[in-house]
Amino acid sequence: MSEAIKSEVAQQGLQALMRVWFDFERQLGRIPLLQRLQRGQFSLDDYQKLLLHWRQQVIEGSRWISRCASSFDREYSDVRSAIIGHARDEHRDYEMLEQDFVAAGGQLAAIHAATRAANIGSEALHGFIMYRASQPNPVDLVGAMWIIEGLGQKMASSWAGQIEQATGCDSNCTRFMRYHGSQDEHHMQELYQLLDRVCSTPEQLAAIVRTAKVVARLYCLQLEEVEHGQ
Amino acid sequence: MSVYISSTGHFLPGPAISNDEMESILGLVHGKPSRLRRRILQSNGIQQRHYAIDAEHRTLFSNSGMAAKAVENCLADSFIGKSQLTMLSAATSQGDLVLPGFGSMVQAELQLADVELHTSHGICSSSMMALKAAYTGILAGEHSTAMVVASELTSRLFKARRYEVAGAELDFNAEFLRWMLSDGAGALLLESSPRAGSFRIDWIRGFSHADAYPVCMSVGQAPNENRSWQDYPSYAEAEAAGALLLRQDVRVLDAIVQLGVDGYLRLIAEGLIQPERVDHVLCHYSSHYFKSKIFDMMQQAGVGLAEEKWYSNLYHRGNTGCASIFIMLDEFRRTQSYQPGDTILCMVPESGRFNTVYMQLTVMD
Repeated sequence: MSEAIKSEVAQQGLQALMRVWFDFERQLGRIPLLQRLQRGQFSLDDYQKLLLHWRQQVIEGSRWISRCASSFDREYSDVRSAIIGHARDEHRDYEMLEQDFVAAGGQLAAIHAATRAANIGSEALHGFIMYRASQPNPVDLVGAMWIIEGLGQKMASSWAGQIEQATGCDSNCTRFMRYHGSQDEHHMQELYQLLDRVCSTPEQLAAIVRTAKVVARLYCLQLEEVEHGQ
Repeated sequence: MSVYISSTGHFLPGPAISNDEMESILGLVHGKPSRLRRRILQSNGIQQRHYAIDAEHRTLFSNSGMAAKAVENCLADSFIGKSQLTMLSAATSQGDLVLPGFGSMVQAELQLADVELHTSHGICSSSMMALKAAYTGILAGEHSTAMVVASELTSRLFKARRYEVAGAELDFNAEFLRWMLSDGAGALLLESSPRAGSFRIDWIRGFSHADAYPVCMSVGQAPNENRSWQDYPSYAEAEAAGALLLRQDVRVLDAIVQLGVDGYLRLIAEGLIQPERVDHVLCHYSSHYFKSKIFDMMQQAGVGLAEEKWYSNLYHRGNTGCASIFIMLDEFRRTQSYQPGDTILCMVPESGRFNTVYMQLTVMD
């Protein structure tokens, strides 16, 4: 699982990130929308709203990954290559999400008209990650990837099935979640390699963990705001 | 001031029951053999267990009776007579009576005079909560000896008739624990001064996550129902609705692995656990399936505990809920080899609504 982790600092980093993840899952468990999903009291309307709010973050996601890649200098050219590959893999994922929205009964025009500002959590998440991605050699964004990739796996392994069961929609409506999760298995391996590469000093470790915690908190804010935003 | 476990005891009712004999005791539901039994047993790895009921579903030992026998077994191996006990702390998932507290019934069964009493209520971790109450009672200087006992009689919940009155269909979540849990009791004697070979309690710590996770193991609620069993017009209606069956929501059960590891990592960060100094690991996992998952996740975090340090008697004594960790510690103390100074880490991750409790012991000279 973590054979890619070779250095002692990266191993400490992985342990710290695992704790951040466990805490993130508990934060997710306290979000009313997800508590309802867990109980099966989740409607097609809830699902449409979730996708509508999510789309902006998925679109921005490919932008920050690209920005992040361009902020790495020659010393990190191998890291830059890996991140460019990742950006290429995901930069049109939002189209699949839009198709799911339509399959779940939504209007394409409605999701196209949605803006990032509709969700203050998305706004904050985007602002923070773009700011970090614009710093020279932003190694701490491995922490952001840890949260976002981990969430992809969780979507595929539990949310997609729960949504289908609760709303009665079929797997045509949850292709984004399922596809994202199956891809992220492979991405997680790359992430371990990346962590081993860029987490080599205590300062880098602290920065990675801090960014993971901030992204986790803002991600939760984004999900909480699905029910508050317009 | 330190607190020491100076004796341990157990009681397992009747003969060991093999996997093939289970159904002849618990009974065929609607006259048909279970289609899930083999699969669940394969996953949990349990080969033998004990039941306090017989094939006619007569109760041969009450829950408080088993608890009393475990206490007597513990005292028989100690330097203490029962009149010297000043505190009794008891745990079970379900006593013989709904009220009064289980501890009162155990006290009466044992004819213990004038003890301070504590009963903790919950599932697998309730024994550790009872232990912590007695441990802190001694640490506070209020007692110098305390008896802690945990006992379970879950087989009464698994009689075929229980499922038959709850409808024609048997759902997986209600059947899951039928092939998992069994009966027994374990007891620990705590003292404020050490004796040769006693185990010093270094610390006991718990982390509960009920605020963030749904109910995972329960009695009292029918599936897709928010009502409690007590909200039905009659208890018969609650039973017919399936509200009295013991259920495990297997969809959320996997969280037990990460929460078990999470507490372990927190205690490492606090400096309470030093993985390289742990000599023996006694973990109450409900099935072998989870042992390997916890083991792997600890490895992933870079703080794995070597396979040969793990001890469990789950496979031959069964999963006896809250009694398991005491029965395990008792058999460990009596049969395994350990040295003065050895460190024993006990872990009880409970899936009820996710409470994980940890304890570290040091073997005394």
